[in-house]
Amino acid sequence: MGLGLVESGKMPKSLIKLLNISRSYSLWVYQWGLACCAIEMGAAFGAPRYDVMRLGVIPLPASPRQADLVVISGTVTDKMAPVIRRLWEQMPDPKYVISMGSCANCGGPYWDSYSVTKGVDQIIPVDIYVPGCPPRPEALLEGIVILQDRIKNEDPAKRWVGEPIVVQ
Amino acid sequence: MTNDASVTEAAPAEEVATDETREARLATISESLGEMLVDSHIATGRDIWVRVSTDAWGAVADVVRNRLGLRYFGFLSVIDWMPSPYGRSMDSEVDIVLADAAPSDEATSSDEASDTGFNRGVTGGETRFQAFARVSHVGDPGDFWGLTIKADIPDETLAIDTWTNVYAGADWHEREAWEMFGIQFTGHPGLRNIYLPTDFEGNPMRKDFPLLARMVKPWPGIVDVEPLPTISDGAEEGDQ
Amino acid sequence: MTSVTDRQKLQYIAAQAADARVNVELETEGMTLNLGPQHPATHGTLRIIAQLDGEQVVHAEPVAGYMHRGYEKLTEVRTYPQITTLVNRIDWLGSFANEVPFILAAEQLMEVEAPERAMWIRTILFELSRISNLILFLGDMGVQLGAVTPVFFAFRDREFVLDQIEAATGGRFHPNFDRIGGLKDDLPKGWLESTKGSMDKVREFCDQIEDLLLGSEIFQARTRGIGIVPADVAMQYGLSGANARASGIDWDIRRDNCIGLAYPELDWKVWKHTDGDSFARFWVRIQEVREAAKMVDQLCDGLPAGPVMAKVPRIIKVPAGEAYVATENPLGEMGYYIVSEGELTPFRVKIRSASFSNMSITPWLLRGVYVPDIITILGSLYFILGDIDR
Repeated sequence: MGLGLVESGKMPKSLIKLLNISRSYSLWVYQWGLACCAIEMGAAFGAPRYDVMRLGVIPLPASPRQADLVVISGTVTDKMAPVIRRLWEQMPDPKYVISMGSCANCGGPYWDSYSVTKGVDQIIPVDIYVPGCPPRPEALLEGIVILQDRIKNEDPAKRWVGEPIVVQ
Repeated sequence: MTNDASVTEAAPAEEVATDETREARLATISESLGEMLVDSHIATGRDIWVRVSTDAWGAVADVVRNRLGLRYFGFLSVIDWMPSPYGRSMDSEVDIVLADAAPSDEATSSDEASDTGFNRGVTGGETRFQAFARVSHVGDPGDFWGLTIKADIPDETLAIDTWTNVYAGADWHEREAWEMFGIQFTGHPGLRNIYLPTDFEGNPMRKDFPLLARMVKPWPGIVDVEPLPTISDGAEEGDQ
Repeated sequence: MTSVTDRQKLQYIAAQAADARVNVELETEGMTLNLGPQHPATHGTLRIIAQLDGEQVVHAEPVAGYMHRGYEKLTEVRTYPQITTLVNRIDWLGSFANEVPFILAAEQLMEVEAPERAMWIRTILFELSRISNLILFLGDMGVQLGAVTPVFFAFRDREFVLDQIEAATGGRFHPNFDRIGGLKDDLPKGWLESTKGSMDKVREFCDQIEDLLLGSEIFQARTRGIGIVPADVAMQYGLSGANARASGIDWDIRRDNCIGLAYPELDWKVWKHTDGDSFARFWVRIQEVREAAKMVDQLCDGLPAGPVMAKVPRIIKVPAGEAYVATENPLGEMGYYIVSEGELTPFRVKIRSASFSNMSITPWLLRGVYVPDIITILGSLYFILGDIDR
């Protein structure tokens, strides 16, 4: 999209709006399923009842290098953490992260375990936290809708260079 | 009256019968194990435990599998009998209140404690660590039974024989026990980490391994605990 | 006529040379193939490092631990009612089934027995979680072999079972419904009828899967004779559940050592298969789903009336002692060895999870197989990462 134009921040407003709308409805989401939440994520993304594709989300990219959004669903352990960091580094900017479930948010029921990372936000910046243990598929879809709203209103110039949004 | 009498007669008769099967089994077991057997325990109608001497641990596997026909390998693990030096470091104030309020029957645990001040389960023992394993006889419908085998692990060496040459499945279980408790299994083909990253320090399942998160902050559940109404009056606790 | 003509000699030499040339052309090199830790075929985060010689596996080493959460340590600092919440999450597809053996072991130590109605409801929920677990296996096995349709059917029909679990317990996934001495609540009104309705859907699903997969030539070619486990080896490695029964071991804890559940009162059959290959494991599981649906129907019909909770102290302290109780979970034998010293928390809990033993056979089983068969074998052994790593 207009090499350098977006980063320069000199794009016309209407174009930015168009760009944002098209981005928000063509999210390629990489499923990083780790634990129980992975099944609920599978239900949200793969099951006929929830059908995520109606939101303009495509859940089957071939690799993280082709993904816009990653859903970290489940318990992040200290052994897994470096792998997640590497996955995130491979994704092209602009990239978004949804942290699904209590474990990924803060450690959840394993808050005192010796082997669990207390929250994936210690390793990568997170855009949306979906609470629950595990969250229902509807909750994940709600998180995706909120993320799409946020994408529609964001300034792509900042996002393009990879600055993480601070979650309010 | 007569009905009642027959019922009361029948009930103990049944109990005795179950005991007898287990007694008979234990007799066969102790005959096969011979001098290797140190102690045994039967929980009526439930289960059998035996404790064998440390040196015989490897040989026992062979006997129970090949002579007693307990060919199914359930699990193998280690237990650390030392009481945790951190107390129950879980504890927020609510839990401590609960512990005090609950009817105290500590007598059972402290009475059986041996000279070192802690107790070692149903079959006794001398050392801090004990290995225990469970094997079963499966495959014959109607004749299913299991056996829990224990052995002391010497405090000086922290090593015991491997079971991998009898039960191949013991491989992963021993690796887990090595990682979690720091016990050496002599003769194991390759003791290396199974769960934890290779640079992990310490043996997390030992009682003196602290859960640091708990040390740093108390149990967060404290904020949502409702006050329990019957802690003080204790009326409902007695009638069980 | 023993002498060999020159012509024959030449032919022989030529053939030898041709063989040698072919061998040189097809000569293979060693190579290490890494699957995972995040790979669609590994049901989670299992990593397999396979050393290959051409297409053949020389040695395969599963690397577990990416999901190790330290259950056994955490149980030492949780009270008994808190532990049920925790152990729900071991095998996350059949959550209710994880609670039951723990509760039964604690009940055994406390010498409490749940009322009959509670036992029956436990059995219903147990079988429902078995169905919800195995349905996903049946669908997923297709995905492992390249057929994507079954998994959509699985997710579709699994929802009907989850709806029932949710209606009864309030939790879609992790019910945390079992208590020492009974259950948290009774069943809601009209639940039994709707459950029987959902069982019809389950049976329909089994028929569909059979149509889609079992008869398919490709499916048969890729599963028959792949990953054969002889009964003796299966017992040595502690394979349990459908994996053991697929190897011809006639053993089901529900029938042979049923503690505190209503199985002896039901009319059902233990299915086994003598082949011990991937196909047998799939076949046994599909029969088990059917059998479970049959059992749920019977349980719904015969559910006795009465209370669902026995009288237990408000503050649960389990008397000193040791107990081991195992049940036949969807994945196999799951048992809890509880050592209690009469406190609010257990002294030690050893969790014997089925997948850990089921997976410990893989280095033995994967030796010499071809690369595509790794996926078939892992898929048919069926593990849940939380159940391996705990």
